[in-house]
Amino acid sequence: MTVSTTRTPSGAQDCEERLPPARLAYDATTWKEVAYLLLNLPVGLAGFLYVAVWLAMGAALSVTVVGLPLLAVGLSGTRLLGRAERARARWLLGVRIEEPSLPPRQLRRPGFFGWLWPALKDPVAWRTALYGFTRLPWALLTFAIVAVSFFVAWPVLGHIARGLAYVDRATVRGLLSPSSELERRIAELEEDRGVVVDTAAADLRRIERDLHDGAQARLVALAMGLGLAKEKLLKDPEAAAAMVDEAHGEVKLALQELRDLARGIHPAILTDRGLGPALSSVAGRCTVPVRVQVDLAERPAPAVEGIAYFTVSELLQNVSKHSGASTATVEVARSRHRLTLRVTDDGRGGARTGGGSGLAGLAERLRSVDGRFAVDSPPGGPTVITAEVPWRDRTAPRPGPA
Amino acid sequence: MIVEDRVRVVIAEDSVLLREGLTRLLTDLGHDVVAGVGDADALVKTVGELADGGELPDVVVADVRMPPTHTDEGVRAAVRLRRDHPGLGVLVLSQYVEEQYATELLAGNTRGVGYLLKDRVAEVREFVDAVVRVARGGTALDPEVVAQLLGRSRKQDVVAALTPREREVLGLMAEGRTNSAIARALVVSDGAVEKHVSNIFLKLGLSPSDADHRRVLAVLTYLRS
Repeated sequence: MTVSTTRTPSGAQDCEERLPPARLAYDATTWKEVAYLLLNLPVGLAGFLYVAVWLAMGAALSVTVVGLPLLAVGLSGTRLLGRAERARARWLLGVRIEEPSLPPRQLRRPGFFGWLWPALKDPVAWRTALYGFTRLPWALLTFAIVAVSFFVAWPVLGHIARGLAYVDRATVRGLLSPSSELERRIAELEEDRGVVVDTAAADLRRIERDLHDGAQARLVALAMGLGLAKEKLLKDPEAAAAMVDEAHGEVKLALQELRDLARGIHPAILTDRGLGPALSSVAGRCTVPVRVQVDLAERPAPAVEGIAYFTVSELLQNVSKHSGASTATVEVARSRHRLTLRVTDDGRGGARTGGGSGLAGLAERLRSVDGRFAVDSPPGGPTVITAEVPWRDRTAPRPGPA
Repeated sequence: MIVEDRVRVVIAEDSVLLREGLTRLLTDLGHDVVAGVGDADALVKTVGELADGGELPDVVVADVRMPPTHTDEGVRAAVRLRRDHPGLGVLVLSQYVEEQYATELLAGNTRGVGYLLKDRVAEVREFVDAVVRVARGGTALDPEVVAQLLGRSRKQDVVAALTPREREVLGLMAEGRTNSAIARALVVSDGAVEKHVSNIFLKLGLSPSDADHRRVLAVLTYLRS
């Protein structure tokens, strides 16, 4: 920082010779546009040649073994062309475009065909190929117009360059930007996947904790009591009898805890009888009288049933704990592709999906399966909570692409 | 029985049910439960206070998993207590037996240390024997830890050279039992056990050791190396 700059003679010279940019009739933006338009020709030519040669070869050879892989490699290469073009547009035209994400790797099956197929249907690469292909005529045109105007129409060069550059901006935006809908969906799914994984891990931890603190501890206490009773059996039969009695109580409590835990993991009645009876059973355990109405002609996929069941049981737990309601209603119905769950209570209202609340967690979990969650709970009640889950038929093995 | 000598116990266990059960069990068999606490911090504090008053307990019985994190605070508290109060015996109880925890507890010294599966409380007398043993400076290792050590030992060829009876004696020895306790467990005479023990030491190439807890260390070190 303290090094003196006067020791470099050229530095001093530059200072003296630096001239104001008055000689330039146009500002930097225009010059950049002109440069961009002139560069269109070599870049367009290179792009066209690349796309034409690779794709034509790939397509022509696609009847042979090497054709499709060649096409795939060529398509992957167009992504590089796209990146270079986005960089050029950023520097010279000031057009900022997000890099599209790579083709979905996790969907790839292992092996050669697992690589080939996603590479062949990569939409970003195809759009870039289209860009490279259509570029050449436009590049020739812009180069010619700008080069000629440079000499014969100097005064209007700026306007011409601006007009032509607008077309370029639109083309770049249209063909080289990531498909926003698809990208948004990918980001959303990535986030959802995180939520699902976290929820599963948290559930396992909860189950382990429940076992450790509940039934397991109770059984240890039970074993201890029986061991002590065994010691006493001969010396003090009365005390031993009391201990056995206590142990008997403990074992019943342990059974109850295990039953509750098993139901918390997956209720047997849901598997056996479906949502209607399972929700009636949940409603029966609620501290508030609950009317359950399930209108389903057929049962949805087990996963959908599970989500619906746990959503309703959590909502009913909230009704028991927080609402102060005297009655509640559960309605389950199907509307074409969605399963709608509605829990209504006449309690004090004021329920919120604010951060950290149970409802926020529920909303997040539903979102992660493409569900929806709405809370209508004015102060003073009544509270209406509606949840929607995408319907999947019982036979359908997997959800189709969105 | 052994319960001639009363031991003074501090219990650390977050489940009230188990804490009260343990208290009752030990009191019933004539021992003194001087304090019962629900987490590791309270344990360290209570033992410190008792020691300051010149009333250091003989043994601490601690659960591995306690609040606030419900991971291994029991083991960490035990290691710390053993360092701070050399005369104190520490018996750690756990729902699962992890050899790693045993190794941390036994690091360098097997005097007055125990590590048992919680299920062992069902055998009331054996459990209380273990508490007393640890209080008196002995060792109590869960048979499952010993089995893990025996199974994982790289000295399989030497272990295989032992007779089945000697392997049994080795296991009981590693659990920390005295010769007479081993004799009782196997229903043989003390002399027979002594003979087995000296054979084992001969086959393992260890020099026989008189103190029980030192011979546990010798055996464990041998199996782990």
